[in-house]
Amino acid sequence: MPPELTPFGRRFKLNGYTLTTRPALVNDIDDYKRNTVWLTDLPGVAILAQIGYDHYDRAPPDTGNPYPAHAQSDTYQFPDQFSLVYAGAISDRVGGWLQLTYNGQAGSVGIDNIDLRYSDHTVNNSWLWGITANNYLTFQDVWNGFGSYALPNFNTVTLWSGGVAGAGLSGPIINALGPGTVGGIGAYAFYNDSLYFEFSEYHSALAGGASPTTDSASLAANGGAVDRFAPYARIAYERDWGYHSAEIGASALYVNWIPSVGYISAQQALAATAAGNTYTPAQTFYPGATNRYTDLSVDWQYQYNGDHDIYGFMGHVTHEQQQNSPLLVAATFTGASSPIYTNPTDNLTQLLVTAEYFRDRRFGGLVSFTRTTGTSDPLANGGNGSPANQFEVFELDYVPWLNFRFILQYNAYQVVANNQSPFYLSHATFPNSPAFPNVKASDNNTWVLGLWMDF
Amino acid sequence: MRKLATPSLLVAAIALALAAASTIRDVPAATIVVPPDPSTMDAVTLVSNACSKCHGPSGNGVSISPLFPILAGQLPVYLETELKLFRQRGRSDPRARGFMWGIARGLTDEQIRGVALYFSKQPPVPGRPSSNPALADKGKLLYENGAKERDVEACIVCHGANGEGVNTNPRIAGQHRDYFVREMVQFRGRLRENKVMQDVTQKLTDDEIAALDEYVSTK
Repeated sequence: MPPELTPFGRRFKLNGYTLTTRPALVNDIDDYKRNTVWLTDLPGVAILAQIGYDHYDRAPPDTGNPYPAHAQSDTYQFPDQFSLVYAGAISDRVGGWLQLTYNGQAGSVGIDNIDLRYSDHTVNNSWLWGITANNYLTFQDVWNGFGSYALPNFNTVTLWSGGVAGAGLSGPIINALGPGTVGGIGAYAFYNDSLYFEFSEYHSALAGGASPTTDSASLAANGGAVDRFAPYARIAYERDWGYHSAEIGASALYVNWIPSVGYISAQQALAATAAGNTYTPAQTFYPGATNRYTDLSVDWQYQYNGDHDIYGFMGHVTHEQQQNSPLLVAATFTGASSPIYTNPTDNLTQLLVTAEYFRDRRFGGLVSFTRTTGTSDPLANGGNGSPANQFEVFELDYVPWLNFRFILQYNAYQVVANNQSPFYLSHATFPNSPAFPNVKASDNNTWVLGLWMDF
Repeated sequence: MRKLATPSLLVAAIALALAAASTIRDVPAATIVVPPDPSTMDAVTLVSNACSKCHGPSGNGVSISPLFPILAGQLPVYLETELKLFRQRGRSDPRARGFMWGIARGLTDEQIRGVALYFSKQPPVPGRPSSNPALADKGKLLYENGAKERDVEACIVCHGANGEGVNTNPRIAGQHRDYFVREMVQFRGRLRENKVMQDVTQKLTDDEIAALDEYVSTK
């Protein structure tokens, strides 16, 4: 910590987490002197714990349902997240990051990030290559400009995450293909300690669902599934000099996505009408409907890893084109339930820039700015249809020991899903609730107190 | 967490038992060499797999970040001594603890000798002309003559006329400037062990260390 990778960390990861000079605990061979077993003498298991305390500028109200939940500010996530991590060598050229996480909000333990690698290199290290198998697109990346470990990386789940802000904020699909949704395999090469190439492809790997079936329950839980395979290509150039390290990179992702939508078949509609009932569409897939996403990203990073002080600037721009299935678009929709999208094609652009500074590797902070804009699609996004959001994260950190990080964070929102009420998912029902007039994006503003420990 | 280690120990025990069983066959165990075991890696492999990650990616011993010293052309005796000190935790400056204790822990004497010899054979980094000749001259005076009135020994006695190192005393020519200054300050703060260097640096001011740095960087 700070948890983004340094030039050394990047090489450790690209080398398949195997950097070791220790003798193996067990190293057996067969008659042909081939390795049959190689066990590291260091178990390398770590515990990662995050605890968060949230205070909202404006306490979220009770919802307008007949039996309202009593929402409140000043909530405590204990733990927000608690993980067991094995990160290190599994064999002489194989290593991995295997993480099992208890999620406080879900209240359950599940498979979290996994990255297994095989790697090798030439003696003079001019070529390093490897294979990675992982369950989180962008988790395998060694630069932190975008994806799963982009700063800021301490996010507690806000009260309205199930609603509008937090997890409900619009973002490109490249950040959403995580554990429980996909599994992928990729090959990479790092030339001359500077030029990086990777090609990976991802498949649907839904947690809790039988593979290859994409059943409605797991589809709904994950918001959809990858149809067939999703190719991903990445190129990056890094240059290190003195205490400095700079990177510029680009990536491209193509996904055929089966969305989880409220669907009702013609037969179900007929049967319901005949029985005099209304049939609630189930969250499931719409036969034959897939959306096509193309994500193009540019990312950059500059790090200064000084003797005492550390600072960095990083960021990315992702442009996403989303071609909606004609079966789900209003103009061409022929189904019995409602269409899902207004436009045949939607675009989304997200910019995230972060600057951080640590003094004596002990006191520090960061400022991060996120802005998302896109085409207006009232059916998909509700309200006026804009997927826009804009917010900043201001963070102060105190790192008394390298594995302890105290965090004070302020999240300031200027735009939250076109400034709909932050508290009501179904804004159409509560366009300007008299109980909560003048609702604005800044009502989402949140103070977060956090503790992050690795041991 | 301890409990988690148990299965792998169990596997290890089984594997050991299997290994023992397999040695019943007439395979002379002592002569078997298994290349991937780090304890049997030769110097070149060790440098390629481990040292080069911090001390120069191509294995030339010229580190990119001044956090890590340049090892190219360093005296083999000095490298061997330091690596052994790291291994036995006899050198406890912060970077030694942070990086080298773990790295050196599993190395054999033979590997240490091999790695030391390897880096000593890499061409050293040549000096550069000073951008501040006045400061360099001040450094030269101190380097060659010491400061007799304060009982400061001349550097030249132990580190050679051109900072090339003598016997167990390291080459300081061609080193990262920031690294040089940091080590001097750490000797002065008694963070890094070495009686002679601790005593000498006690009497040096920050300005004098900067002057020495300026002069040595030309060598």
